[in-house]
Amino acid sequence: MSANSWLATGNFFTTYKQEQRTFLTSLDRTFFTFFLVLLFGWPLVFELSNKYMLVVDNVLIAIVAVMGLNLVTGFAGLISIGHAAFVGIGAYTIASFCRTIGESHMIITHFWPVLIVVSGLVGAAFGAIVGLPALRLKHLYLAIATLSFQMIFEWTIQFMTFFNQGQTIYVGRVFWLTGKVGRKDHYLFWYFIILTIVILLGFGIRNLLKTRYGRSLMAVRDNDRAADAMGMNPGLTKVYAFALAGFFAGVAGALHAYVYRGVGFESFTLHESVGYLAMAIVGGLGTLNGSFWGPVAIKFLDLQVETLAETAGQYLPSSMNLATALKPFTFGLVIVLFLMFEPRGIANWWRIIKSYTKLWPFRY
Amino acid sequence: MKSQNFLTALLILIVMFAFTTVNAGGKVYKLGMSLAITGPTSDAGNPYAKGTEDYFKFVNDTKMLGEDKIDCTIRDDQYKTDVTKRNFEEYLDDGIVMYLNYSTGSTLGLKRDFEEEQIAVLPASYHAGNLDDSNYIFLPIASYSDQLVILAEYVAKNHKGGKAKVALFVHPSAFGRGPVSDVEKAVAAGLNIELVEVVEHGKDLDNTAMLKRLMSKNVQYVISQTIQSPVATMIKDSQRLGLTASSFGEAGKLTFMGAHYTGGNDLIALAGDAAENYFWITAFNITSVPGVGTTKQLALAKLFGRDQKAADSHNYAAGIMVAQVTTEAIKRTKAAGLEINKANLYNTLNKMNGANAYHPYSTTGPVTYSKTDRAGVDLLQIYSVQSGVFKAVGKPLASEYMKKIK
Repeated sequence: MSANSWLATGNFFTTYKQEQRTFLTSLDRTFFTFFLVLLFGWPLVFELSNKYMLVVDNVLIAIVAVMGLNLVTGFAGLISIGHAAFVGIGAYTIASFCRTIGESHMIITHFWPVLIVVSGLVGAAFGAIVGLPALRLKHLYLAIATLSFQMIFEWTIQFMTFFNQGQTIYVGRVFWLTGKVGRKDHYLFWYFIILTIVILLGFGIRNLLKTRYGRSLMAVRDNDRAADAMGMNPGLTKVYAFALAGFFAGVAGALHAYVYRGVGFESFTLHESVGYLAMAIVGGLGTLNGSFWGPVAIKFLDLQVETLAETAGQYLPSSMNLATALKPFTFGLVIVLFLMFEPRGIANWWRIIKSYTKLWPFRY
Repeated sequence: MKSQNFLTALLILIVMFAFTTVNAGGKVYKLGMSLAITGPTSDAGNPYAKGTEDYFKFVNDTKMLGEDKIDCTIRDDQYKTDVTKRNFEEYLDDGIVMYLNYSTGSTLGLKRDFEEEQIAVLPASYHAGNLDDSNYIFLPIASYSDQLVILAEYVAKNHKGGKAKVALFVHPSAFGRGPVSDVEKAVAAGLNIELVEVVEHGKDLDNTAMLKRLMSKNVQYVISQTIQSPVATMIKDSQRLGLTASSFGEAGKLTFMGAHYTGGNDLIALAGDAAENYFWITAFNITSVPGVGTTKQLALAKLFGRDQKAADSHNYAAGIMVAQVTTEAIKRTKAAGLEINKANLYNTLNKMNGANAYHPYSTTGPVTYSKTDRAGVDLLQIYSVQSGVFKAVGKPLASEYMKKIK
């Protein structure tokens, strides 16, 4: 390998440490830095309307949630179909604070970074508890256990008056160094915050996967008995995979609560859980970048189908409610097509493009 | 020099043309509406959207506002608060002066936004809780609480023999649960009925056990606050079990009654014969009871090529009604020589009372609003299904006990 990292023409490693680097070449690092500058800089150049900024924020929140789901389902191989409930745990942690001390209390409006972390920790605690059945259950049986958690969550929220029986619990406007974040800057402000969180958590996962704890997730996924024989603790690994997923989901939930300035039950239903699972599948299970592609693709598809259904709703006979069927039909079709033709998700297309550009313009 | 003169003349012409166009076109008042055209409850949302759309088209076509026009964007939110919020943000970006919303969940969810934006909102949800801690939400008609209490008052007045035993059959949400406490308060305030049970329905396809239980408790009246499909399932089961009263208050049988969203032609379509003798309360004129209002409603539907189902729907009338109130608010604000903006429309709505009450053709009573009265039509009409169609039962009523418990 060339001594000058800018002139490196391939990936050669002489030590294990080198192999573990986040960026293999200086060009990689430069591209990534440029990409980050672009992500932080574009809203300052192109002013986006509140509507679309909300969409972008929503996508980023979904990315945080799907990163967690990918850890437990993609990397650790443990099916979870109650992920929206974990997101809800995070959101309702914020809501609980609002119900107890008031939506505009200083703790809610000024110490929101602490509350976001607290929500993540509460999510992690619930994740660990729900992960306990994973010690004894696998595959479909584990899926049913996570589904049960989703049902218990929905029932609890809908019937407890403390949670306003699922109706919106309001969250006050937050303060930043410049003062109260008003309506005009609300979504832009949260864009920067969520983007920072996505990047931090993304690097967190990337680094985790290089450690024995990260590798043990994949080892347990591939063969938990072999992992046990190799000296890993499959039980603990499974529980901590759920706890990690719960932490990510909790953070996503807290962000949802702050962005929407309210927490309502309907954002955390089974339907949303299936949506997160679809994002993970379409993005690419067991890949970090799949956690980014999936939410972007599914949310974009959602928007397009919404427009199509709305247009169709004007013309198709309302009695048959055909327009209503368009969304679930398209959603289901996309998942089936991905499972059939590209089970490795969009992340695989990204891998193919990267491999191709690595060799370009040479064929070999 | 010659070319400079030519350019100046051209510029003047362009400016003159531009101003002429603005004057000729009048002003455009932007409005926004978000509702379920698809997804849950779209059976109500779809005709509702059509009613609003048609009436605004009619206003523009007939120059009801002179050269000025109403531009109301109608977006589908699939009954999801997240999507409603997105639509609302879009409308704010567009500079709307008034907003038309739909569901209870989204109205409650966006309440803080309405307060911040200080924009008048007319929802399709008549949930009394919409008005708590809110200054900008105007219910088009009296709340579900009013509706249920009026039905309970009707039972108390017309039941023969002792105290009537009543059960409530409600949707498991704020929409369904909301009026329960008000009915309980009315009973505590002296309304002469016994509230035996409150049933929160699930997605059951069979209500045999529930109906038998109610019978075992000697319940005679079931008042529903939900949507049509669970009511249809319940009354079909009751008919199958031979429990349905053939006339109001028949001893040993069940008389079914319900609030606005439980009834209408959709209920008859879903329940068939079982809907016979179902008592329903609403504030809208319905086409099976012909009158001036329904003639105009049918003419509007015909004008814009709507099918008979939409034309006959009370939700179509409800959609027309919110468009009528909005148009009237704009008309009155204009007539007062004020600019059409959020603040002035809000003030105009608040003055819509007394001699200034508005009488739209779609409702059974006048629309009245003030700073302390945010429910539009207070006079509600009870209908009952007779020979397969809804017929009016007596004159429109207002609640006595709601005033006592407020």
